[in-house]
Amino acid sequence: MCSSGAIINVGHSDPPIKIEQAWINDVPVCHPGAAVDLYIGATVMSERQPFEYGGGHVIEDLVGGKEVELKATAYGTDCYPRTQVNTRLTRDDLNQFYLLNFRNCYQRYDCAVNGREETIYTYMGKLLPRLRNATFSGAGELNPLMNDPDYETIGIGTRIFLGGTQGFVIGEGTQHDPQNRFGTIMVRGDAKKMGPEFLRGASFTRYGTTLYVGLGIPIPILNEGLAKKTAIRDEEIFTSVVDYGVPRRNRPKLATVSYKELKSGKITVGDQRIRVSSLSSLKTARKIAGTLKSWIQNGEFFLTAPVERLPVDTVFKPMRRLEETPFVANVMQKAVTCSESEAVQAIAERIVTRSVNHIVVVGGDSRLTGIVTSWDITRALAQGKKALADIVTRRVITARLDEPLETASKRMAQHNISALPVIDNENKVLGIVTAEDVSKLLGR
Amino acid sequence: MVRILLRFSEKIVEQPIISQIILELKVPINIITAHVNSKGGEVLAEVPDEALEKLIKEFRKQGATVSIPKLIEVDSEKCVSCGACITLCPVEAITMDEDASVVFNKEKCLGSTCSACVDACPSRAIKSVKQNNTELNSAH
Repeated sequence: MCSSGAIINVGHSDPPIKIEQAWINDVPVCHPGAAVDLYIGATVMSERQPFEYGGGHVIEDLVGGKEVELKATAYGTDCYPRTQVNTRLTRDDLNQFYLLNFRNCYQRYDCAVNGREETIYTYMGKLLPRLRNATFSGAGELNPLMNDPDYETIGIGTRIFLGGTQGFVIGEGTQHDPQNRFGTIMVRGDAKKMGPEFLRGASFTRYGTTLYVGLGIPIPILNEGLAKKTAIRDEEIFTSVVDYGVPRRNRPKLATVSYKELKSGKITVGDQRIRVSSLSSLKTARKIAGTLKSWIQNGEFFLTAPVERLPVDTVFKPMRRLEETPFVANVMQKAVTCSESEAVQAIAERIVTRSVNHIVVVGGDSRLTGIVTSWDITRALAQGKKALADIVTRRVITARLDEPLETASKRMAQHNISALPVIDNENKVLGIVTAEDVSKLLGR
Repeated sequence: MVRILLRFSEKIVEQPIISQIILELKVPINIITAHVNSKGGEVLAEVPDEALEKLIKEFRKQGATVSIPKLIEVDSEKCVSCGACITLCPVEAITMDEDASVVFNKEKCLGSTCSACVDACPSRAIKSVKQNNTELNSAH
């Protein structure tokens, strides 16, 4: 999980330093408190190898006993005169080294697909165009919060399996959303006792780095209700199939599927069968459950009652905004269209009379079949081409009505084009957005 | 059947070498993947075991380089069996077995001519192996 990290205390140098900025193995680490306390965030990326090495990997290296390089700078004070430090450290050189994750163990999570025409790289992995694959996350029936959905036994002080050793729940996690069954927890554990088998750095191409965290919670069967709840099966846990191709807070939900379907390797969305795979290791989840069980049986692990239970009524609010973000719908204009059978001459005339640069070619039901630009027409005249078929572009880059203008604008720049026909799910043309309209609104 | 990787340089890429060899030797060649442009080509093909030696000889005579592709390497220490790679494989060479371990079928894999799984692995456990021509010495 991305909202993971470790707090470390590196000890004082002589003369001492009040660290202002610090890097471990070229990964910037946060300096949130006093002189030599540092927080290694899992998602912070190396300056030399961004996307490949990050805070998650630093944590993995440290728990694996490897030596890491610490660089730090400071402005220097009367009490902390030093302005620079370069040294090498292992976990044994650290005073405290605690995993401190502010959001872990999502009760369940969305299943991701991509409705766009191109492959996208997300925190849900590599998603192929036109719903050609799907990814999901979470252990389903093995997820602790799913087994105790009313948090009767899980709360502050619950002793847990964390990263290969014993840790604790220290409260609800950020974005804890119990009413929608998206509960999360905040956890802490002594990373000096952890191992890389259950703490792994991870690299998501074109998204960033993160940390795989191995976590397990024992749930005592205190009453009949808990016996029933912990018997939950994958076929009773449902989640939404969500189009990550739409870069919005509320992405379109295309279907509802159970974790049983997800773990079967194939899901159905509309009339499409889609191959689906997990992003979290079920194999490791089973290993954690087995390890925790053996610890308890051998008397090495004692269950605790929570000091305070996780809240069941908190709401996960969206960000308060002072200004509206522009969307494609805000600048879209009516598209000037032509049919497949029209001659180049007629299209040329339309470009002049309507004073546009793009003519959208449509078939029956106003479905998009191509695009012709004034440049195409110029070329046709120069080369004596008379048929639309000779000059039309068939692979049209398009936009969606509810897409942020910024992403549409980026797509134009990326493909070096100046307009995008706006289409709906059935490929019907709704309008056109041009670079000119975008720059008027975004002031570029 | 055995897989061979053929490389054609810029000089010979426009010649119909594969067709000629099929016609001359009357050997079926199954093309699995092909990446060809004006600067050269790389073709992964399946050929009958018994025809392997004479095919290699003939392709080399025509100026192509031939190797037995070693396709991908999976670092089992790094792999955590998350499964992120499974759905990206176009030939379903990656599967999850009963105990939730991710298994690679290297017979099916298209290797460096595909590599769709490589950048999808969060643990960076998959490497597509660069081909080299010395690997073929054993085939002579």
